[in-house]
Amino acid sequence: MSDSDRRDDRLLRLNAALDNELDATHRLELDRELEHDPQARAGLNRLSAVSDAVRRHAPREAAPASLHAAVAALARPRQATGRAYLPLAAALAAGVVIGAASQGLLVSSRAPDPVAATLTADFARAELADRPYDIASSDRHVVKPWLATRAPIGVEAVDLADKGYPLAGGRVAVIGATPAPTLVYQRREHWIAVTEMPLSLASGAAEAHSTALDGFHLIRWADRERGYVAVSDIDADELAAFVAAFRAAIGSAGGEAR
Amino acid sequence: MRDEDEDNGAGMISDAARRRYQAIVPPHVDEAFALARWLSGSAADAEDIVQEAALRALNALETAIVERPRAWFLRIVRNAALTWMAKNRSQPLAFAGGVDDLAAIEPFDPNCDQRSPEALLIAAEDGERVRRAIAALAPALREALVLREINGLAYREIADATETPIGTVMSRLARARATLAKILEGQP
Repeated sequence: MSDSDRRDDRLLRLNAALDNELDATHRLELDRELEHDPQARAGLNRLSAVSDAVRRHAPREAAPASLHAAVAALARPRQATGRAYLPLAAALAAGVVIGAASQGLLVSSRAPDPVAATLTADFARAELADRPYDIASSDRHVVKPWLATRAPIGVEAVDLADKGYPLAGGRVAVIGATPAPTLVYQRREHWIAVTEMPLSLASGAAEAHSTALDGFHLIRWADRERGYVAVSDIDADELAAFVAAFRAAIGSAGGEAR
Repeated sequence: MRDEDEDNGAGMISDAARRRYQAIVPPHVDEAFALARWLSGSAADAEDIVQEAALRALNALETAIVERPRAWFLRIVRNAALTWMAKNRSQPLAFAGGVDDLAAIEPFDPNCDQRSPEALLIAAEDGERVRRAIAALAPALREALVLREINGLAYREIADATETPIGTVMSRLARARATLAKILEGQP
């Protein structure tokens, strides 16, 4: 190794040390070198002063809100602005939506509220990670106590397997700082997540509100002093049918201890 | 023009690609903006560049398999910045030539070391001077420095984002810091 190669090598190692990119062995080697070599120490101090100056004086600033909005809007399906509720409207007209119509299903295209945004992001993340639930079980007597130990409100884990929605598991969504128990049902190769929350977090209206957000469908409703949000990537009318089945089952499970 | 893009470009995108996009792109907009701004030197240009990059990312996500989302998106931002600069500036970003030559740095030159540790520390207090010095770096050096110091990427991620071998990343970063030190040690 020539002098200049050695110098280059040391310079790279000093930079790598500063960036925490040296493995333990090399770090130890360099530490020994620094002990005996004031010039190397001065070099490291110099690099560190530069690095520190850059971080202090050129901190990363947030991108403008307009850019954030434009980037987020790019992948928003046109469904959100009209297409989404056409099949639903058709279904309503044909009287296909079981139960939901009689309970006053409303379609809303208002801006998403934070709860909806949180639960949609939660759903997207879970789906993307191929881990739609934290406890996998089709047995509601397993899922219910698991959720009960992790969320402040108890949850009704209703069995909908005979309606075509087997229970797949449960997880806890976090809305703001409140853990909210979430049941995950399966519909063919899709998931449906139902999150239960105190009424204070819910929209308050007993009627079901259907919205589309970032390619997912959401239905919110309230039953018996609890707010619910169902999120899924299945069609809006399919989700409405699921919600109707879920509400009917919750209603008939009413006697069960909460 | 953006509306047209959305109709012609993003209109055909599948729901799966849109979901991958939502998970990958929006969380890295701040980093993308920082990179684009330091590469282009202008916040307004950076907005255009990041929007263009986001659209490219959305189209690519129809088929792309992404292992390191952050580096992947920043690579698209960087390439979008290069095209944007070539199209809209008389002086495109010059990445070629000489910047990776470590021999040009003499950080352990005794004169250099004894010259002015105080001068460096004093200059480092002057934010405007530090920012001007960063802006004066060659684009390839500035890019490595911004990805590392401002966006906090690991060497591996910088190598991914810049499509550069890791050894080159290391020498660019070393050279960027040494050059900054020299600029800051010099006269204001």
